[in-house]
Amino acid sequence: MPEPGRPWPSDQELLGRHVAGDADAFGELFRRHRDRLWAVALRTVCDPEEAADALQDAMVSAFRRAADFRGESAVTTWLHRIVVNASLDRLRRRSARPVLPTGDEQAFEALVAQDGDPARAADTRLDVDAALRLLPPHQRAALVVVDMLGFSVADAAAILDISPGTVKSRCARARTRLLPHVRHLQGNRSATESVQPAQGGDT
Amino acid sequence: MSAPVTHVDAEALAEFRAGLATGRRGARIAAHLAGCDRCTALDDQLAGVSVLLASVPAPALPDRVAQRLDAVLAAEVAGRDDPERAGREPSPEPGTPSRRAGHRGFRLPSWRVLVPAAAAAAVLLAGGGYGLSLIAGGSGSHGIASSAGSAPSVGGGANRAAAPVGSAHAGASARSALMSPANFTVVTSGADFTEADLGQALAAELRVPPAAGTEQIPSTRMRACVQHLAGGADLVRVLSARYEGQPATIVVTRTGQGEEAWVAGPDCSGANRDVLARTSLPSGI
Repeated sequence: MPEPGRPWPSDQELLGRHVAGDADAFGELFRRHRDRLWAVALRTVCDPEEAADALQDAMVSAFRRAADFRGESAVTTWLHRIVVNASLDRLRRRSARPVLPTGDEQAFEALVAQDGDPARAADTRLDVDAALRLLPPHQRAALVVVDMLGFSVADAAAILDISPGTVKSRCARARTRLLPHVRHLQGNRSATESVQPAQGGDT
Repeated sequence: MSAPVTHVDAEALAEFRAGLATGRRGARIAAHLAGCDRCTALDDQLAGVSVLLASVPAPALPDRVAQRLDAVLAAEVAGRDDPERAGREPSPEPGTPSRRAGHRGFRLPSWRVLVPAAAAAAVLLAGGGYGLSLIAGGSGSHGIASSAGSAPSVGGGANRAAAPVGSAHAGASARSALMSPANFTVVTSGADFTEADLGQALAAELRVPPAAGTEQIPSTRMRACVQHLAGGADLVRVLSARYEGQPATIVVTRTGQGEEAWVAGPDCSGANRDVLARTSLPSGI
């Protein structure tokens, strides 16, 4: 996304320079986005080692395949897509040893308990991360991209290479599944605003 | 089935929220919601899931992963002049240009500013050893090979400096490796600091580099605590130690004038600083 008024080059420009042989351009481009890309990888694979591998795979792949970028989407969408694919690939490869059986309440409790210090259970991020692990990978990836990273459904569809309708249904299912596990956190944050006392039809 | 008694289940509500329940089904849900407190509350909670997820801060990219990516990328750049790309790629010669070490394409570790470039790769091997082996263990072991193998192209002539790892690390000095509050390691220390000699004891502690194996990746809670205390300031060191006998996290930040140390108790988190003590250290101890 070109950022008007900024002194630095747009993503697309950097990618173009990289394809043209500029040795620094890709590094600058990737550095711009890698924090977010890390978040996608980590939350999709739920394991820092696998996430680091996935991000590395994706970076190398993007570096080598930059010439294939057609400009149909934003560069950042393209990068996210590569990272999501690399992450799901990693998950597929280790599917024989899943992080947790999905939807397993006891496993969730165990995961929270495993962190020892009970005060830490109050840490929202920890709880949310733990709850995210309960989701099937594809639902999780959709939810991460839409709800956590704030991509539009259309961009998410491009990133995940699925239809917008599938993005919506995966997100809907994921939110439903997550609700019992994060309901207790909603009071901690801004989410409180949306949980009102039952006063439905106020007409 | 009459509408008033048939509540909408969570999944149907979620689909409705996502715009998937259209037509008559959507209209029926909308009508029901208008008159049902219970389903409205559930609907609000579903909306709250997205709000909650959006409010969770993104995890920071760990320094050791960033370093590994830099090293792998440097290797990619260096290897770019393979037959396929040879025609158009003025690829850098690995080992040529000490000037390249400082160029902007790559983010070297944050101590780049203070450490001669040639030592940077060696520091990465020594100081970052724990993190690298942690990350690169098991399936990711190629990470070590590529990091180590490509380090010279990151640091210019770093391969010459790679041998005396210990001395390079010592030469880099414990103080110079500033860390970001987003990416840092915690040093476990056996020290028990007291109010009376906090400044002196900390200064002594900071004079020596962390002992091997004492650096760890912080827990989520500690990360939140440290970020809370440090604000945006660079970190000199984060210690997990004791203060007046009780477990404490000690965060030393670099400020304009010198260094600032915060001692936080076990309740320190993103929401609560739990500061037990605070002191300034003169710079350049």
